[in-house]
Amino acid sequence: MSEMKKIKNLKEFSTSADRFEGANLLCPGCAHSIIVREVLNATNDDLVLSATTGCLEVCTAVYPYTSWDASWIHIGFENGSTAVAGAEAMYKALKNKGRLKQPDRNPKFVSFAGDGASYDIGFQWISGCMERGHNMMHVVLDNEVYANTGGQRSSSTPIGASATTSPAGRVSYGEKKNKKDMVSIMASHNIPYSAQVSPNKWKDMVKKIQHGMAVEGPVFINAVSPCTTEWKFDPKDTMMLADLATDSLVFPLYEIIDGHELNITYRPKNVVPVEEYLAAQGRFKHLFKDEYKHLIKEWQERVDANWSYLQRREEARV
Amino acid sequence: MAFDKMELKDIEVWDGNFAAAQALRQCQIDVVAAYPITPSTPIVEGYAKFLADNYIEGEFVMVESEHAAMSGCIGAAAAGGRVATATSSQGFALMVETLYQASGMRLPIVLNVVNRALAAPLNVNGDHSDMYLGRDSGWIQFDAFSPQGAYDLNFIAFRVCEDHGIRLPCMVHQDGFMTSHTAQGVETLSDDVAYNFVGDYKPMNDMLDFEHPVTHGVQTEEDWHFEHKARQHNDLMTKVFPKIEEVFADFEKLTGRKYNLVEEYDMKDADVAVVCMGTSVETAREVATEMRAKGIKAGVVGIRVIRPFPFMQIAQALKDIKAVATLDRSAPGGTVGMLFNEIAGSMYNLEKRPMLCGKIYGLGGRDLTKAHLVELYTELQANVDAGKITTPLQQFIGVRGPKLSFL
Amino acid sequence: MANKGWDEFEIGAMLRSFDGSIDDIAGTAQVDRTYSPSSSYTASVADWRLVKPVFNKDYCIDCQFCWIYCPDVSIIARDKKMIGVDMDHCKGCGICVEVCPTNPKSLLMFPEQAEEEAEIASWPAKDEEK
Repeated sequence: MSEMKKIKNLKEFSTSADRFEGANLLCPGCAHSIIVREVLNATNDDLVLSATTGCLEVCTAVYPYTSWDASWIHIGFENGSTAVAGAEAMYKALKNKGRLKQPDRNPKFVSFAGDGASYDIGFQWISGCMERGHNMMHVVLDNEVYANTGGQRSSSTPIGASATTSPAGRVSYGEKKNKKDMVSIMASHNIPYSAQVSPNKWKDMVKKIQHGMAVEGPVFINAVSPCTTEWKFDPKDTMMLADLATDSLVFPLYEIIDGHELNITYRPKNVVPVEEYLAAQGRFKHLFKDEYKHLIKEWQERVDANWSYLQRREEARV
Repeated sequence: MAFDKMELKDIEVWDGNFAAAQALRQCQIDVVAAYPITPSTPIVEGYAKFLADNYIEGEFVMVESEHAAMSGCIGAAAAGGRVATATSSQGFALMVETLYQASGMRLPIVLNVVNRALAAPLNVNGDHSDMYLGRDSGWIQFDAFSPQGAYDLNFIAFRVCEDHGIRLPCMVHQDGFMTSHTAQGVETLSDDVAYNFVGDYKPMNDMLDFEHPVTHGVQTEEDWHFEHKARQHNDLMTKVFPKIEEVFADFEKLTGRKYNLVEEYDMKDADVAVVCMGTSVETAREVATEMRAKGIKAGVVGIRVIRPFPFMQIAQALKDIKAVATLDRSAPGGTVGMLFNEIAGSMYNLEKRPMLCGKIYGLGGRDLTKAHLVELYTELQANVDAGKITTPLQQFIGVRGPKLSFL
Repeated sequence: MANKGWDEFEIGAMLRSFDGSIDDIAGTAQVDRTYSPSSSYTASVADWRLVKPVFNKDYCIDCQFCWIYCPDVSIIARDKKMIGVDMDHCKGCGICVEVCPTNPKSLLMFPEQAEEEAEIASWPAKDEEK
């Protein structure tokens, strides 16, 4: 096994030579690329990457330009995980047969996908990859919406968000269903590691990515990716939104080891009211009308209940 | 870990599926990603069993759908190694999206398609609906008429599609059940001879070359897409036939078995001919010979390479024929059959155009009997004698109920 | 890359990140790499900007918050020091300014046409209320 990259602090981290390039076509202030940089910079090992159809893909590999400094493949909307799994299978085959061009390398296989491509259309493919035990990592860039196609709801879109296919209107408060718990669903495949991360907590992110890359077997990472365009906030505020997400516990940071051992990895010193998280985003603007204020209260209750549930799971050590 | 070789008899009694599985073993496939579907399943089961018995070294990835099977094959092929899989029918239909992606990325994957009908109504038996569904997918496509063909064409497919001047994926079709599950004598190659014919896999633009990172599967819009598709089509149209003919010639030298883009049977002096694919070719040949005894100069054109379509070769084969019938084994969905269209196109500019009619037959595994073909040849001769087409252009053969014909 | 004809590019719409061979990408700084013309590193999105960050090194503590949170790989860090902004790749989102912890900030946004030297000369003073 290769040595884990030493990243004690941000100064040390900043000596990383990025393998993701600028002049991609992602929106100014897009969190996707912040997450991708943190993931890729967490290791010095060689990488085999994929992306599914979505913002990341259409903005980083538009002919004749690529923003990737590692081998990368895109096939379709649903199958980036399986593309990487196929490459990983080939790596194993060629390694056994002694046919690798650079046999001394220790490549990491990582697929990136949006929440639509992971929670919805690519769900089966990811489940298959996790179940089969490929030595790979699937990273969801979770912006809770089909951003690339212009803001339709996905099964990651939370209650009350206005999306183009679940719009808020005179008689509707927007999305009616809460997002599904992908981290637990994937953990239930009894994979060695699954975790939720956020780009603002880079140290937590790096630790989890490094852990995920060190273990043998499939790893699932759900990364919250505040979307300036669809969450409707100023591009400069991306990291503020990430801070609000983690500190309001709307996106609690935790990991699940071997499918059952849950550890909360970040406990905010000052928990921010969920209302502040919602108020910072245009997609929830309508919730602040009188008739929908109860939804904000319900939001808070839901977040509290989830936090308490996570704590109980952590304490139970099951 | 070294793997064991398998001793084969000169002639083995194999069905088409096992013949294809043996060919995959002898080609030493690095990765098979597959999903079961009748009637193609035994091909990948065969690979899995050879792996389990140490007759091959590689990775068998049993995925959760045919779409994932081809997705895994694409990832594996882009990584840089020999890749194959098999499917049929609904599985093929589910794969279609990824078929276009494999060819657009120029990845040399070999897909054994054991042809089967498409639902609804659900049917597990052989027809060419799945083959027709993939016809514009940019794959090179061979058609085997027998287990021997299914065996031989796999070696030929790898040689052609992995060539750096080609780099296009390749299908080897065989008829569901009629070929795939019907055991016949298959002349074999020894493991060493077979592997040497195919040769070592030579990677190109491989993702596992960490000193040359590559980006596969880019976005191209109106400013680039047309050029890329044009390039792909150009290579299909201009590079594939010369390569196939070279490989056919090498294969003949090695085995004595001669394959042609278009398999002509008794066509030299024929007045009437049928054009068909799959197991029907052998039936038609038998009937054509019998028709000659009755004084009808009958011939058969079997299409060995469906894509690229041997347009000029077909025209050449049919230029002196008086009446031609195409046999399409797929519901045409509101038009003439695919073969009718293709053959019409290839003959249209001939000086003397043969009369052309199209038959739809064998859907869902319905037998094409010799009696059907006797009737067909007789009808073609009647057209010749009348100097015009005396029947509707499209007729269904072998379907119960009132006679069904159109156009 | 100029618009090429159908016969002038590599098959499969495949793109290379680098010209020739590169042994240790993660160990090679961007400036030392031989990018292929297909790498977006060689492209510019400077014309996306309406506002731009101006860096005033006098106040910078090299915390590297701007480096880690820059979505566009546009904060140039060398030997743990922040040395400036890559203006070819910066889209002007302003995240670097928001995450800058110094007082006054070491990065501020100005209109694209602003004169950098003049802005640095009139940099705001420390905000005593913070």
